[in-house]
Amino acid sequence: MDGKNILIAGVGGQGLVIATKIISEAALEAGYDVKTNDVIGLSQRGGKVYGSVKIDSKVYSPNIPHGECDILLAMEPMEGYRYSHMLKDNGMAIVNTYRIPSTSIQQEVEEYPEGMLADLKQKYNVSEIDVIKVGKELGNTKVGNTVLIGIMAKKLDIKKETWEKVIQKNVPEKFIDHNIKAFNIGYSYK
Amino acid sequence: MNEKVVLTGNQAIARGFYEAGGLIASSYPGSPTVGIIENMNNYKEIYSEFSTNEKVALEVAMGASFGGVRSLCSMKHVGVNICADPLMTFTQSTINGGFVLISGDDPGMHSSQNEQDNRVFGKFANMAILDPSDSQESKDFTKIGLELSENYSMPFMLRITSRLCHNRSVVNLEERKDIDIKAFEKDAYKYCMLPPYTEKAQYFMKERLQKLEDYAYNTDLNKLEEKEETDTIVITSGLVYQHLKEIDLDASIYKLGMVYPISIKKVKELSKKYKNIIILEEMMPFIENELKINGIDCKGKEYFSFTGEIQIEDVEKGLEKAGLIKERKLNEKQRLKVPSRSPQFCSGCPHRPIYDILKKAKVNVIGDIGCYSMGVLPPFEVHNINMSMGSSIGIVKGMRKAWDLAGNKKPLVAMIGDGTFFHSGVTGFINLMHKLDKNANMTIIILDNKTTAMTGGQPNASSDKEMDVSIEELLQTIGFERIKVLNQYSYKKAKSVIDEEIKHEGLSIIVATGPCALQYRMRHPHFYVDPDICISCRSCIRTNCPPLLMKKYDGHEKLKSFIDPDMCVGCSICAQVCPVNAIKRSKPDDDLKNK
Ligand code: SF4
Ligand code: SF4
Repeated sequence: MDGKNILIAGVGGQGLVIATKIISEAALEAGYDVKTNDVIGLSQRGGKVYGSVKIDSKVYSPNIPHGECDILLAMEPMEGYRYSHMLKDNGMAIVNTYRIPSTSIQQEVEEYPEGMLADLKQKYNVSEIDVIKVGKELGNTKVGNTVLIGIMAKKLDIKKETWEKVIQKNVPEKFIDHNIKAFNIGYSYK
Repeated sequence: MNEKVVLTGNQAIARGFYEAGGLIASSYPGSPTVGIIENMNNYKEIYSEFSTNEKVALEVAMGASFGGVRSLCSMKHVGVNICADPLMTFTQSTINGGFVLISGDDPGMHSSQNEQDNRVFGKFANMAILDPSDSQESKDFTKIGLELSENYSMPFMLRITSRLCHNRSVVNLEERKDIDIKAFEKDAYKYCMLPPYTEKAQYFMKERLQKLEDYAYNTDLNKLEEKEETDTIVITSGLVYQHLKEIDLDASIYKLGMVYPISIKKVKELSKKYKNIIILEEMMPFIENELKINGIDCKGKEYFSFTGEIQIEDVEKGLEKAGLIKERKLNEKQRLKVPSRSPQFCSGCPHRPIYDILKKAKVNVIGDIGCYSMGVLPPFEVHNINMSMGSSIGIVKGMRKAWDLAGNKKPLVAMIGDGTFFHSGVTGFINLMHKLDKNANMTIIILDNKTTAMTGGQPNASSDKEMDVSIEELLQTIGFERIKVLNQYSYKKAKSVIDEEIKHEGLSIIVATGPCALQYRMRHPHFYVDPDICISCRSCIRTNCPPLLMKKYDGHEKLKSFIDPDMCVGCSICAQVCPVNAIKRSKPDDDLKNK
């Protein structure tokens, strides 16, 4: 597999840190060098957050320059849109369609943007899914990121078993089942 | 043992301390270094603690070093200001067991009130400074720092930045080495910093640094990567070195692992070989200034920003300015216009009702450092002043005196959280009693959520699982009389108490209690809005709870309020502010799955 730059965008508190951890450990298991990066601190309280994972035979900086991202995992549509300028021209966006309005939208200062997905689809390769809906069907709304990782995993040259092993290691014992199911829903998506 | 794992910089430092045979680690929680002590808990051999503040933390680690064990003390950059007093003397005396101070600097101010370059602090304190560039180096440098600290009898600083604390990269694990505890030998020249002993200590301090500069001449900590047929060398350190490696540049690189002291002899030799010396470093021109004051011609900050993080794109741009790159490969794309998203109080956060009440009270409020600093941001915009840890109590007194002298009688309110109260608020409270004017109208609200919430819920003296010190009783002991305790979830009662205390001509203290919504994960049945009753007044919306949004309902002309059941934790505040009882609790059995 050629090197892959992955960007994860979402809202503070959505579990971005654990997602970068799972992806990086899977990459290491598969024999790659890997570096990740996530934004922290104040933004954790519902602010905009993004993280990056770079996978290659040798990685130097954990940061992804503009227009150098292969895959964008958007945990929230507006946040995916915000960071989509980071994508390569033929890049791929995997978007959770469940919306989380920001303060400015709640307070009716700004409006939630419409037509973002259509715009993204014109420029990039887009997979969209409401992971909260999937989570509810599984009886656990916290597995959304695992669904997105499942969709992405299909595009990477890392074995399915490796992903499952890493997920098992990183989620609390009683949620392993939910997460493995969530991963598989993602993996077999479309 | 040869195991490879991916670790954050913070985890790597904890691991390095463990492998080096470290025994005692202390800290005060602050981004970006919180994870260091949290990860120490994985090693049963190590005693670790979050102390009341950084000064106390340093004193604990100093004591451990004097006691003969390897110790570590971690904090965010501004924390070093708090412990500056013992630090400046510690670095003049000597260590016994190895000691490293971890300073978590925050270029770009991701979660800090300022951006200070603590390499300057390290030099000011006569410490050696190590500057890692990934997790592997974070681990290695922690170990090397402890060892060199013992070899040169001096405290070491490990300067790390936010990106490196939270980045994950591959690390090779090694076994722990058990280190014998050193005996403490009485020696006033080493450990008692009073004249005449201190004069000798000054010379000792200088000699150690001199010796270390000799060591820096060819230590493996610094890496020279030479290219043939180039007349340029870039001197750099830390994460920006990794950015530089992403760019195909026709220049040699001298990467400093130890940024202080720098071997001037080595750089002078290099300067004979190279026509151009370019310094690439984040924040202040530290390396650049070190070279310049030693007569070495170099350039740096004229190409790279003095503030914020330096990204790969910025490195390329700077190198282009310096004439080392003809054509840039990385082109910045136009950013899209997307609504803003700033941080906000969590669903069910107990601070939210207090801020709603204060907003309605239209008073001048002095804030402090913690989650409640978000009281500065829209839609509340309640804090007029927000400075540094524990400062609100001193500031409110000074401002009150000034206003009273000027004849301005407007009420003043100060806010402080429980973690901040114990960190450095108590001393301000004691001072409040000093020359206290009976009629000075000050209202101080202590937000007691029983945890250090901002940094993820570390214990403090207020935590019921730990020391469980009663703030109210402590204040009574100091001599405060007018103290009201209220439950933050009883909105109406809280509002009447706060409004009344603000009116009171004199000092009053309110202890507002409610558990941190993140820490205690409350989940009562969620609330919902009946659109037939809702009058679209937006009172609930103004409380800013994340699940609330005005929305279009079928059969209704006007927008009505709506609560996202997946986000609501059922604290009832919105229902309490609704003037027409449009917000109701869902049935208890109407739980998650059935929605
Ligand atoms: S009850 Fe209201 S204020 Fe409390 S969490 Fe739910 S929406 Fe927010
Ligand atoms: S406070 Fe009550 S009436 Fe006013 S918008 Fe909210 S739900 Fe509607």
